[in-house]
Amino acid sequence: MNRMKSFFGRADAEPRLALEDDPTQTPRERLSRFIGGGWILILLLALVAVFWISRPAQFGSAYNLTMLAVNAAILLVLSVGQTFVIVSAGIDLSLGAVLVFSSVVSAQAMLWITGSPAGTFGTTPGGWDVVGVGLVVALASGAAWGAFNGLLVALARIPPLIVTLGSLGMALGLAQILTGGVDVRAVPDLLVTQIGTGTLFGIPMLVVIACVVAIVAAVVLHLTRFGLHAFAVGSNAEAARRSGVRLRLRVITIYALSGMLAGLAATMSIARFSTTTINGHAMDNLSTISAVVLGGTSLFGGIGSIIGTVIGVFIPIVLLNGFVILGIPPFWQTVAMGAVLILAVWIDQLKRRTRQGS
Amino acid sequence: MVRNKCRPILAVMAAAAGLATAMPGMAADKTVAMVLGVKGSPFYQALACGAQAKARELGLDLTVSAPDQFAADSQIPVVNAVAATRPAVAAVVPTDMQALVEPLRQLNGRGTHVITVDQTVSDLSFVKTQILTDNTAGGRMAADAMNALLAGKGKVLTITQPPGSAAQDAREAGFRNELKKFPGISYLGPQYQSDDPQKAAEIVTSTLSAHPDLAGVFSTNDQGAIGAITGLRQAGVTGKVKVVAYDAATAEVNALKNGSIQALIAQNPRQEGEAAMSAAAALIADKPVQKITLTEIVTIKAGDTAAADKYEYRANCN
Repeated sequence: MNRMKSFFGRADAEPRLALEDDPTQTPRERLSRFIGGGWILILLLALVAVFWISRPAQFGSAYNLTMLAVNAAILLVLSVGQTFVIVSAGIDLSLGAVLVFSSVVSAQAMLWITGSPAGTFGTTPGGWDVVGVGLVVALASGAAWGAFNGLLVALARIPPLIVTLGSLGMALGLAQILTGGVDVRAVPDLLVTQIGTGTLFGIPMLVVIACVVAIVAAVVLHLTRFGLHAFAVGSNAEAARRSGVRLRLRVITIYALSGMLAGLAATMSIARFSTTTINGHAMDNLSTISAVVLGGTSLFGGIGSIIGTVIGVFIPIVLLNGFVILGIPPFWQTVAMGAVLILAVWIDQLKRRTRQGS
Repeated sequence: MVRNKCRPILAVMAAAAGLATAMPGMAADKTVAMVLGVKGSPFYQALACGAQAKARELGLDLTVSAPDQFAADSQIPVVNAVAATRPAVAAVVPTDMQALVEPLRQLNGRGTHVITVDQTVSDLSFVKTQILTDNTAGGRMAADAMNALLAGKGKVLTITQPPGSAAQDAREAGFRNELKKFPGISYLGPQYQSDDPQKAAEIVTSTLSAHPDLAGVFSTNDQGAIGAITGLRQAGVTGKVKVVAYDAATAEVNALKNGSIQALIAQNPRQEGEAAMSAAAALIADKPVQKITLTEIVTIKAGDTAAADKYEYRANCN
């Protein structure tokens, strides 16, 4: 066990609860590592505080807070997948396109079963079985694209940036071919009303789904061997291979997992918008990457946490929401978001340097 | 050491909060929120300018927001944030006929009057009024202009957005149906660029390779037009291939003046913005509004510089 630790080099920076605790850490250090992007949490709370104090009735209203969570839900599911990929020193640029493709395939499958003509506005009377089929189709399609990415990265040894850039184009293009460019607008009513706008004990279903995904992912990443291997592959792939980790299989499954989560996000997207959105989700890949990086995950792999990603997802969403509520001109929002991204990562770097230096 | 680093950051945050709170609170009566289709579009900038001028004149408190992309998933968070501010009236350019229905319905449910501007949605039960241009008529005018320029014969290509945008679809449909009246003109069909001049240029050069006798190009928006004339210039056929373009952005007006474009179908976004504010004021005052307000479209021919200057979409509000 100790030998593995020394192989992994940056082992002391990983929030690994599964292994025995290092007795030389103070409880505060342990806590701050557990949170991952500790300073980012303070930044998020500060932003929320600023906006809440300026416009308490508007920013702080139950409606607005609910909407923030709903807007974050789909991006969070995508970012969780991206976290796994980046932690293993990969990158996935194809997430938005895989989402679009999966949503198209799933919507067309559901439409084919219920037999209504395509392209009509409105909803179809499909039952839960139809929705179930649609979900399975979306998950399978996402996992297939993910496995495709993983195979090329692991076996053909093509850099992930290039592979996922290529699959972005292919997935988007195929989605447009399948539909002729026209969104599929007839989706099961149940999906839209129960999941898209439905609530569970007052919490929107989409938020519940995102929470469950985040919790399960956190458990998998931090408490299982699969997660440990993901960190290992990202930290030092060669050392992981020599320690007996089945490197290629791990890489393929990690990308497949990311793709499958994109498939889940596709179903959530259909539920939310009651249509496929072929022309949308164009910037989702960059949004997920910046959310993951904001959360304290290193782009070089080996360091990361799901909680950090959750915080990272909320920062741009809270910023956009607050700026619109305050009435700040749209172009300044773009400037501010870029500045906050740099500020947040800089603060995180400072924190890391002080910790490693002491 | 941690506390020293903490303090200046917290101080900045507190100052920002103080500054933001010092901003005047909004009177709930005359607040109007406008959500454009996308940032950085000359058409929507001109629309916002017209709205701002009219809002000042009518004493309305107008805030303008816009999403990064002309897409539902980008616009809906902005609409949600606007809904949180509970304005009296919201004038929204819906970027998707279906996906925006639920957020706009929520907006209406929270007590805001909803106006759609420039585009529309599939469910109009909660929309108080629509400000529209007759895009089909615009397409027809473009076909007539093309026929006049080509003297009745030649091959014609349309460059447009992918299907799904009601306005663009209507323009292309109007163009296509009117072209059927002119038997000498052969229609090559629409090609899709997604608001990308680069793509539009590539489409034009590829079409010229396939059909060297291409006679005319119709672009249903400004980005396509800019790309089209670049493609024609690259191929060296500027002026030989006639271009009819929708919209009168500055780049298009300049192209009209220097001969790259032969006719413009200009909308009047300032008028749309003004009409939106007039409707908003009427709604606030509880006066009745028409269900649909149509704003004008004109054909501007090459050489008509006065009209070109008059209808140019000026993005700097003066």
